[in-house]
Amino acid sequence: MTGLETFVTHTLHGIQYGFVLFLIASGLTIVLGILDVLNLAHGELFALGAYVGFTIIGYLTGLVAPPTTLSTQLVFLGVVLLGAALTAAILVPVGVFLETTFFKPIYGRDEVYQIVLTFALLLIIKDVNKLIWGPSPLRLQDAYGGINSIPVLSRVGLTYPTYNVVIIVIGLVTVAGLFWFFNRTKTGRIIRATAINREMATAIGVNTGRTFTLVFALGAFFAGFAGALALPPRFASLDMGANPLVLSFVVIVIGGLGSLRGAFVAALLVGVLSRWAIWQYPPAELAAPFAIMAIVLLVRPEGLFGTWGEMG
Amino acid sequence: MLRADSLRKSFGNVRATDDVSVEFGKETGEMVFIVGPNGAGKTTLVNLLTGHLTPDSGRVLLDDEDVTGLSPDERVHAGLVRSFQVVKLFEEMTVRENVRTAVLSQHRLTRSMFTLRDGHQEVEQTVAGLIDKFGLAEHADTVAEELAHGTRKLLDVAMSFGLDPDYLLLDEPTAGVSTREKAYVIDTIAEVSREEGVTTVTIEHDMDIVSEYADRVVALHQGGVHGEGPPDILETDDELRRLLLGVEQ
Amino acid sequence: MSNRSLPGLVSRDGETRVRVTKGLELTKRQSMLALVGLLVVFAIPDIATVTPSLQLTVVHQGLLFGLAAVGLNLLLRHTRLVSFGHAAFFGTGAYTAAVLAAKFDVASFSLLLIAAMVVATLVAAIVGYLSLRHTGLYFSLLTLAFGQLLYALVQGQSFFGSSDGLPVRPGAARQPLIFGLALDSEAYAVILYYLTVIILVVSLVVMWRLVNSPFGNALDAIGQDRTRAQFIGIPVQRYVWIAFVISGVYGGVAGALYAMVQQHVRPGPVLYFLRSGDILFMAILGGFQTLLGPLVGGVLLVFLQDVGRDVTAYFDALTGVALLIIVFGLPRGLVGSLRAGGLLAAATRDFRENPAVVGEWISAAVTGIVEATRNWLRDVQSILGVR
Repeated sequence: MTGLETFVTHTLHGIQYGFVLFLIASGLTIVLGILDVLNLAHGELFALGAYVGFTIIGYLTGLVAPPTTLSTQLVFLGVVLLGAALTAAILVPVGVFLETTFFKPIYGRDEVYQIVLTFALLLIIKDVNKLIWGPSPLRLQDAYGGINSIPVLSRVGLTYPTYNVVIIVIGLVTVAGLFWFFNRTKTGRIIRATAINREMATAIGVNTGRTFTLVFALGAFFAGFAGALALPPRFASLDMGANPLVLSFVVIVIGGLGSLRGAFVAALLVGVLSRWAIWQYPPAELAAPFAIMAIVLLVRPEGLFGTWGEMG
Repeated sequence: MLRADSLRKSFGNVRATDDVSVEFGKETGEMVFIVGPNGAGKTTLVNLLTGHLTPDSGRVLLDDEDVTGLSPDERVHAGLVRSFQVVKLFEEMTVRENVRTAVLSQHRLTRSMFTLRDGHQEVEQTVAGLIDKFGLAEHADTVAEELAHGTRKLLDVAMSFGLDPDYLLLDEPTAGVSTREKAYVIDTIAEVSREEGVTTVTIEHDMDIVSEYADRVVALHQGGVHGEGPPDILETDDELRRLLLGVEQ
Repeated sequence: MSNRSLPGLVSRDGETRVRVTKGLELTKRQSMLALVGLLVVFAIPDIATVTPSLQLTVVHQGLLFGLAAVGLNLLLRHTRLVSFGHAAFFGTGAYTAAVLAAKFDVASFSLLLIAAMVVATLVAAIVGYLSLRHTGLYFSLLTLAFGQLLYALVQGQSFFGSSDGLPVRPGAARQPLIFGLALDSEAYAVILYYLTVIILVVSLVVMWRLVNSPFGNALDAIGQDRTRAQFIGIPVQRYVWIAFVISGVYGGVAGALYAMVQQHVRPGPVLYFLRSGDILFMAILGGFQTLLGPLVGGVLLVFLQDVGRDVTAYFDALTGVALLIIVFGLPRGLVGSLRAGGLLAAATRDFRENPAVVGEWISAAVTGIVEATRNWLRDVQSILGVR
């Protein structure tokens, strides 16, 4: 591989990683911005998505022909994506359940209880995953290799996994969809209005209770989607939620508190820079995102796009 | 003398304070009232003077010293004290503890880590004196969040005087207080500030109070100074009357 | 004013009280309780030799995490800031001791402890400076992120032994030397335990003095209304920073002692963010509105974790459920509830008066669950309808 090729490959890896990060962080940031809840269990929703995805995608791909020819390969890809979407859909009632049962009663209480509550949910969901899927890591056989056998970038002479290209495309579509949702749809605007001024929103007749439930469900949806999409190249494991959770925090701080656009830019930044770090100086991989965070905090404490409460 | 020197502050496209130059405490202990319709920039001016906001340009001078760069707590120790429109108290502390917190700060004792908070004789005496002076004795051991509205206002003012101010900026000290209590609150403020030679700058909407108590009136309109002078201008300046009445109705 | 008869004894309102430190005077009953408590704590090494289920190291660990939680509580109770990164300072203390012992052959107990305090001060100063630029949830988020940064650094560097960690064995010695003495391992464990108890008592008295001082008063003021605190002349940012550092030093001391007890440190048990959660949980469990609550919570949680992990593979979930019970039923924590006669006390009283009340509780619980399920179904429908 030439230097340029290596550079492009690492950058693409970084972009792909950034999109997955954004999917996770977006849910966390809208829940934080609108419900005023720091959901420590968000990473476990991501892990839950991976586990549910393991079961669903595993089942669905068992139903179709193995990806050998181009047509079976495309069907296979479609089935994997369908499985991821179904997984995300399953996370919606889970989110609604968590919000109505546990969060509703404690809005307005001292924030320490909120944090302890989400910490409790983190521990419980982790053990629920363990109870259902067992303690050892699970791998979705064949899915990653199957999709990667579809030639995409190899046609232009670049060795880069096709699945990652798919993730980038889906990421782009999701980002566009999210911005469209928050800027153009009525529900999206209501959510933004609620984020900016809760009392005002109530005064103009917005059912904030339902908006909160919807927002939390939305967060769970994206966490689950990200979990299912992140599964094929890796394992579903019990501790997989911690890193994305912490990196999402980093992304939120860098991007600016409560800014979806900021979260997007920051996620890509963190994704790309940490992949470059792996390439140039591997020991810096884990610390790189935090270093960016510390610099941003020093230079711009409000983050790159920090505008309190305003989404988009 | 507390002086605003060409202060400017914008929020987006709105010029909340537009080139305001004004002086308070030309005579020590004078009672100045700031009047003006809603949105005239009264609270913004107080925020700029006390360091709650940083001006886009212009200076704040305290006894001819530039304090624009000082933080709010540093300005307090320089003698510039304020209260808030919505009373801010330490809600879980009793009246005595609230006043004590202010007096400890005034005596620069808050940095003391190994003395007892209630173990400073001179502080306790000052606290007891303030509680008496503001008629808070019967509530001394009541937790702030359980106080009636008028009493909260008095406690707020008592804390401000506990800081031994030279200049006291009061943002609507009578807002939300019943008509009967209003006179008592403003009387107490007038009395104590006269006694201690404190210059007060008060934002007030009640023109009866302004004409009765003011030594001088500063009228703001659309971020700028509309005019200033003795309380008579409330009667003689027709445009000012129109501006203020427009709000009253 | 007090008339002193005996040193340490004062008479107040016709009652003799024990004077612990200026201003801290215990009534007869409180003194008895404190004395019994101390005796039990001192007798633990002996009790442990005869009861197999109670291990000295477990109690020792509990006291140390409790000490860290007492430090955390300075922020939590007074400035109302929820730090979710306290393991960072515990870990800093532990790793300072470990690195000095393993890499530089520092054997002295006191030197290791002092070095840990110094490094913890530095780290807390930096983390505090950056995290305290925000308040509320963002502060919690930042402390968690910085805690994980330290975890990532240690995990990624072979100098720190990566995930295997480091032994705390200076050179040829099997363990650090206490006041220059080379002891056999049992004597070492017991003496270290007593030293911990002494350090703990001193730390508690210092903390008591601190929170009852004008500085503690200022922290209370900051916690209750930051803006007002600044406008009565309190340099809020600086004070909160100082409190953060003090709180970190408590964690650092506890961590250094932990390293010397365990004689091996790994990043997982001392630096991982779940550890920060544990420390926060200890404070809440014991009752964060009290001085001793976090300590009690620490001993209890570590003990339960030790026993619980043998009993069930799902101990984390049990911990989670316990947390839920505390959040919804016992917000004052154990010590706080005992004192304030909260829900627990009321429930015990009801039960004593009429045991049939259990039936009501069960039916209330069932109704609650049915109600919650109904709400959930309705919300799911409504959300899907909105979509």
